[in-house]
Amino acid sequence: MKNKPSQNVPSILGKFGEEIYEQIMKEESPSIKIPQRGKSNVYFDDNEKVIQLGDKYSKRHFLNVAHTKKFMQTLLVASYCRRLVEENKHAGIRELYYALKHTVEGSKENTFDDQIESNPIIEDLETALDILREELNLTADRRGYIYGDIVIRDDEDEFNASKLGRGGWAVPGTVEEIDFLDLNAKYILVIETAAMCDRLIEEKFAKTNDALLVACQGQAPRGVRRLINRLHTEKKLPVYVFTDGDPYGWYIYSTIKQGSMNLAYLSRRLGVPDAKFIGMTMDDIEEYDLQKVTEKLKDMDKKRINEIMDYEWFKRKEWQDQMKKCLKLGVRIEQQALANKSLEFVAKEYLPEKIENEIFLP
Amino acid sequence: MSETKVKHADEIFKSFKMQSVSEFFKKNAAMLGYTGKLRSLTTLVHEGVTNSLDACEEARIFPDISVHISEIGQERYKIIMEDNASGIPLDYITHVFGKMLAGSKAHRNIQSRGQQGIGVSGAVMYSQVTTGKSSEVVTSTGGKAINKVNVKINVEKNAGEIVSRETLKNPGKWRGTRINLEAKNLQYNRSKYGPYSYLKMTAIANPHTRITFIEPDGTKILFDRNVRQIPKHPKEMKPHPHGTSADDILSMIKNSSATRVRTFLVSEFTRVSSKKVEEIEQISGLDLDINPKKVDWEYAEKLVNAIKQITFMAPPTEGLIPIGADSVKLGLEGILSPEFVHTVTRTPQVYHGGIAFIVEVGLAYGGNAGNNGVDIIRYANRTPLIFDQGGCCVTEAVKSIDWKRYGVKDDKAPLTIFVNIVSTHIPYTSAGKQAIATEEEIYTEIRFALMEVGRSLSRYLSGKRRAHEKLTKKKTLLRYVAETSNAIASLVNLEDSSKIAKVLTDIVEKKYDFEEATNGEEEITPVSEENGMEEVSENEE
Repeated sequence: MKNKPSQNVPSILGKFGEEIYEQIMKEESPSIKIPQRGKSNVYFDDNEKVIQLGDKYSKRHFLNVAHTKKFMQTLLVASYCRRLVEENKHAGIRELYYALKHTVEGSKENTFDDQIESNPIIEDLETALDILREELNLTADRRGYIYGDIVIRDDEDEFNASKLGRGGWAVPGTVEEIDFLDLNAKYILVIETAAMCDRLIEEKFAKTNDALLVACQGQAPRGVRRLINRLHTEKKLPVYVFTDGDPYGWYIYSTIKQGSMNLAYLSRRLGVPDAKFIGMTMDDIEEYDLQKVTEKLKDMDKKRINEIMDYEWFKRKEWQDQMKKCLKLGVRIEQQALANKSLEFVAKEYLPEKIENEIFLP
Repeated sequence: MSETKVKHADEIFKSFKMQSVSEFFKKNAAMLGYTGKLRSLTTLVHEGVTNSLDACEEARIFPDISVHISEIGQERYKIIMEDNASGIPLDYITHVFGKMLAGSKAHRNIQSRGQQGIGVSGAVMYSQVTTGKSSEVVTSTGGKAINKVNVKINVEKNAGEIVSRETLKNPGKWRGTRINLEAKNLQYNRSKYGPYSYLKMTAIANPHTRITFIEPDGTKILFDRNVRQIPKHPKEMKPHPHGTSADDILSMIKNSSATRVRTFLVSEFTRVSSKKVEEIEQISGLDLDINPKKVDWEYAEKLVNAIKQITFMAPPTEGLIPIGADSVKLGLEGILSPEFVHTVTRTPQVYHGGIAFIVEVGLAYGGNAGNNGVDIIRYANRTPLIFDQGGCCVTEAVKSIDWKRYGVKDDKAPLTIFVNIVSTHIPYTSAGKQAIATEEEIYTEIRFALMEVGRSLSRYLSGKRRAHEKLTKKKTLLRYVAETSNAIASLVNLEDSSKIAKVLTDIVEKKYDFEEATNGEEEITPVSEENGMEEVSENEE
């Protein structure tokens, strides 16, 4: 496991710079080796049960006109991060973009024209150097929150996440430095929508069931994923994921469980291969008599289903069956459709029943 | 006798004659080039300049010509043209400046610069018709005296007349001729139909000439001499047998003193040897020993058919004096300062009627070579053709070429195409003599020449494009050197990035120098058109 908290980031960055410096001094064509991050270079690791990066590399050459600018950008970002870490400052990835954006000496060109250019460079560095963005003291936009009986220390603040009101604690972009001081929970329930999480908070679900509620608000951001990963590995909490019953919800689950293709190099730090899927499933429709509150699948949805059915990590029979059923019924089902039964239904019956009887999808 | 006085015939014809000459001039103004205010002015200049160029060529003098146009009233201009030719002896002044249709070359098989055959006297006539004034001629052969003469055309006699005369001293030994005339119904501007364009084109095709031009607004322009060589003087030529028609043969027989067809063929045609006559005899089965006077249409036609089946040597070139590819090149370079020039003078060919011709083509790219697409400048025997561009064989040929094939990607590329047709008889489309008829042989020959210069342009442009790309690449790389070096320096905790920048710059420079050395020799596959058929030649033996 590469979860070494005290990696000497400045020296890694320094070494990275040294190599290029050496190349130049030997009058060689300077180049940077960066693992490829496209779909063609990811695979599903059956042993570790996460999406992993393959061993394909690409080289960024200063002397290749198509690479030159990116080469310069990579070094700008690397040198900026070294300063950040050494000065013990954090910067948002958008701040980094603005900090480094300027006119290239003696031209009318900008170093970066859009954050779209700087973001992938950060990922390039993470992959090439095997350092987390968080370790480079870079933070991303925050999204998602946690609610439940856990005492957390973040810098100088200590608090219990069940005593911050109904909004819980907003998870920051970086959770590397927080400590878990006290914990009274048996599992983590990850919820796709904030609306459903709010419902569960209102129904006192966390307290009644000794659960930590984490709302990821769509695709789980890195901070949230890292938090779930840490709680799972450090506190041995099982992770249950509760999303809409559609390809997008299922994919949110898949990302939490085995990582994403885009951040395949981080799967081992972000993924929770043991995570279980609680719902919504196609079987719920029949089981809870929800036929009337389904939504029709659009062409786009069908296309997406066919797409993810082909992913190796969705090849398990249970999932293939779900998706076939979904296509057959031609419908999707949202978490909040459960309100059709009653507002309390999800908290009082649906979730407890499933958890107690372990009605999960793998 | 009644009160009515009967007029004598002489009297009647006197006025009739007077009328008819000026009528003739007016009616044929278009043919003579005096139509439209701008064109008339260009024609006046053309007549004077052509006269001077011919005079200098004959006297083997490097022409130094000046043209000064000034506006002196409503559509009224004064034109002063001066040359440094041999000058005109007093007795001949009226002959040169006063006699219409005095041209001696008109009916001979010889290459000539003059087109109309009325020459500079036409200018005197035009001045006289529009202003009633005589023209002033100042000339000296370089002796002790300068003759200053006012000439008029006596329309009755169709002859020049000296109105007044003055003799001046010539201490500076000045030699040359200056004509000073006034005319009306004229207009000056810098369009491509005006004197400016005409003189510029003349300068390109006559690079041995220096032309000084003063425009009505006082602007002085110098088209300088670019070649130190006076063109050879053309010689009269016999027709070539190929393409000769039965009618041509019959009319040639009329002017021939030969007593047998056999000798007629050998003496009246070029490239017809007695050996060739035997071939004609064999193929036609005709008796070639009959008297040419007995030749009838049928006989002539058989002769023509036999001739068609025989290969003759290409017509001799002595009679045709091309400008020469080198001179055209110098002319184009000197006047247009282009970025690229390629010129070609093709080998002589024959078109219908056994008439030899040579096509010369020059291509200038960039610089002042036009700025709005292909600029076609046409010449017949190095005389600019200004008008009727649309109906000209040259224009058709240039337009038939797909310039994109030769790397001209932009419709507005700065391109000037120079085409000079050299021949004893230029096949003009009309009496206006401003457009060349589309004779297939000429058309094809122009196209071959155009393709040749086109291929050369293509090579130039692709080389330029490559060099440009390389330069752009190098510039791009160098642009990032400073930023990259600073970033590396800061990453490895170095205060000074200048060493990194220097080595990195060296690496970039080295890479592109190296590429230059290895790729420099690379040849681009030439664009081939018409399966390389451009090497058509009549040569044999």
